[in-house]
Amino acid sequence: MKKLNLRLRLTVFFIVISVAVFATAGILSWTECREKVDEFFDTYQIALARRLSTANWEQIAPGMQEISDGLVKDIRNADDEDDAVGFAVFNSEGRRIFHDGENGRDFHPFGRTGSFGTEDVDEEDWRVIRMMTTDGKYIVAVGQELDYRREVTEDMFEEFMAPWGIGLIVLLTAIIVMLTLEFTPLKRLAADLKKRPAEDLSPLDEANIPDEVRPLTDAVNGLFKRIERMLQRERSFIADSAHELRSPLTALKVQLEVARMNEDDPKKLDDTLRKLERGIDRAAHLVEQLLALSRIDSSFEREHAPLDWREIVAQVTDEYARSAREKEAVIREDISGPPPFSEGNPVWAALMLRNLVDNALKYSPAGSEISISVKDGKLAVCNSNTAVPEERLKHLCERFYRPSGQKTDGSGLGLAIVSEIAAVHGCCTDCANTPNGFCVTVYRKKNLS
Amino acid sequence: MRILLIEDDGLIGDGIKNGLEKPGFAVDWFSDGNEGHEALFQAEYDAVILDLGLPGRDGLSILKDWRNRGRSEPVLILTARGDVDERVAGLNSGADDYLGKPFSLKEVQARLNALIRRKNGVSAPEIVYRNVTFNPQSRKTFLNGREVALSPKETALLEALLFNRNKVLSKEILENKLYSWDDEVSSNAVEVHVHHLRKKLGKDIVKTVNKLGYITED
Repeated sequence: MKKLNLRLRLTVFFIVISVAVFATAGILSWTECREKVDEFFDTYQIALARRLSTANWEQIAPGMQEISDGLVKDIRNADDEDDAVGFAVFNSEGRRIFHDGENGRDFHPFGRTGSFGTEDVDEEDWRVIRMMTTDGKYIVAVGQELDYRREVTEDMFEEFMAPWGIGLIVLLTAIIVMLTLEFTPLKRLAADLKKRPAEDLSPLDEANIPDEVRPLTDAVNGLFKRIERMLQRERSFIADSAHELRSPLTALKVQLEVARMNEDDPKKLDDTLRKLERGIDRAAHLVEQLLALSRIDSSFEREHAPLDWREIVAQVTDEYARSAREKEAVIREDISGPPPFSEGNPVWAALMLRNLVDNALKYSPAGSEISISVKDGKLAVCNSNTAVPEERLKHLCERFYRPSGQKTDGSGLGLAIVSEIAAVHGCCTDCANTPNGFCVTVYRKKNLS
Repeated sequence: MRILLIEDDGLIGDGIKNGLEKPGFAVDWFSDGNEGHEALFQAEYDAVILDLGLPGRDGLSILKDWRNRGRSEPVLILTARGDVDERVAGLNSGADDYLGKPFSLKEVQARLNALIRRKNGVSAPEIVYRNVTFNPQSRKTFLNGREVALSPKETALLEALLFNRNKVLSKEILENKLYSWDDEVSSNAVEVHVHHLRKKLGKDIVKTVNKLGYITED
C-alpha cells in the first residue's frame, strides 16, 4: 500500500484531532447549556407558580379574565418577545378559573402536583409544574413550551461556540500553512535531486533544512563524496590503463612495420613475427591484469566461501609446472599451518597466488627455487637467488611500477593485484629480501586490541 | 647516419633498431638510462632517439646534462604521455622534436631525416649534386633522373658524403657513421662501398684524398 506523503498525513491528522476535540467540546457545551437553560427556566416556573399559589383566587371576579386578556394583547402588540410561558388556575373540580390568556387556556385541568412533567398542550410538548395554592383550594399550573427552551439553548450554544469555530478554522489554516512552509525546503531538495545531472556531485544545499532532516542530507553528501572519490579513482585508472596500453601498442605497430620491410627475408620475417606474437601476448596479458584489477576495485559484494589452500596451491603449481621446467626452477610447497585468511573468493585467492608465482618465475634466474608456504597465518612466496634493491621494495606493490633494467615483459600490475586482493580480505602485503631470497608475504592485519 | 637509441621497452627498441637499420641507419640501442647517457660521448652520432619514461635515469635529466655539457646532437623524444605540459618541458630541456606513443616507424624515420637535414643546414627534402639526386626519406638515388639501386650501406655512404660536401671524411669517420657497435666491420669495408658507389654513379662522385680520406667537391 502506498503511504501518503508526510505533509498530507500530518494535515489529515491535525484536522481529525481538532475536529474531534471541537466536536467533543461542542457536545459537552450543548449538554451544559441545556442543563443551565432547564435549570433557569425551571426556577423561573417554580417562582411564578409559587407567586400564583399565594394569590387569593377566592375573590376573582368574573370579568377579570377579559381585562387580563386585553392587557396581555396590548403587551404582545408592544413587544414581540414571547417566553412561551403560560399558566392556568383550576379549582378542585378541574374548572379553569383563570389563565394567562394565551397558552394556559389549553392546559389540562389534572396532573401530578409538586413536580415537573411533560405534557401535550395543543399538540406541542410543554414542561408543566402544578402546585396547590396555599389555601389548598386551587391548583396552579405553570408551563413552558419545550421548543422554546431548545431554541434558547441553541442560541446560547451558537453564541458560545462561534468564536471557537472561527478559532478552529484559523488553527487548521495555520497548521496547513505551517506544514506547507516547513516542507518547502524538503520539496525543493527533492526537486533539485530529481533534475540534478549524474555528473554533478556537489554537496546538497543545506540552508533552511530542518535539523531532523540534516542527518539524511549529511548522509547523502557523504555518499556523493564517496562516489566522487570512486569516480576519480575510476577515471585515473582508465587514464593509467590507456597510458600503459600505449607502449605495447607502439611495440606492435613498430614490429609490424619491421615485418613488412622484411617480407623478402623469410628468416628475419619469422623472427619479427615471433616478436609480434610476444607483443600481442604482452598486450593481452596487460588487458587481462587491468580487467582483474578493475574487478577487485569495483566489486562490493564479496563472495565468501571457505578456502581450501591445499587445493589452490596445487592448482596454481600445476599451471606453472611447465614454465618452471623451462626455467629449470623447482617449486616447493609447505602448507602446514593456518592461512592468512580462510574464507574468501576462491577465484581471487587463486589469482593472487598465480600472480605471486608468475612474478617469482619471471624475475628469478634459471635454476632458482621457488617456495610457497602457508603457515602461521601467512602466505609467503619466495624465490631464491633474487634480491630487489631496498629502495624499490616499497614501490613494488604500486600500480604500473616497473623498476629499471627490466628485460622481462610485465604489466607492472602483478603485485598491485596481489596487494589489492589481500586488502579486500583484510590482509597486508610485504616485500622483503630474506635468507630464502626475495619474499612476498601476505599476512593478516594485526588487531589494535 | 649513426643513431643513438635509448629505449627501455624491449619490443619497441628492437623494432626501431631493426626498422632503421634496414634502410641503412646505424643504430646503437641502450635500454638503461645511465649507459645511454654515457654512449653519446663514445661515438659521433647524427641524431638521438630518447625515451622519456626510462628506468634508472629519466630521459629529461639525461637530455639536460647533455645540453649542459655542450652536446648539440639533435634529439627526438619518445613518450607515452602526450600532455602539452610535458611536451613543453621536453622542448625546453633541449629536445628538437617530440613523438608520442603509439607512433609509426615511418614517422620516426621522417623526423630523424628532418632533424639531420636541419643540423646540416639543408632545407630542401632532396639533395642534388651534379647529375645525382638523393632523397633521404625514400632512400632513393637518381642518376640523370633514372633511379639507381644502391645497397643500404652505399646509400648511407652517399648520404654522409653529400651532407658533408667539401669536407674530407676519414675512413674512420665514415665507418663510424655506417656501422653501430653491434656490427662487425671488415678493414676494407669503406673502400668496397666507395668502389661500388663509383661504379654506379660515376668515377667523379667521390675523390680520394691521399692518406686522409674521401671528399665530395662542388
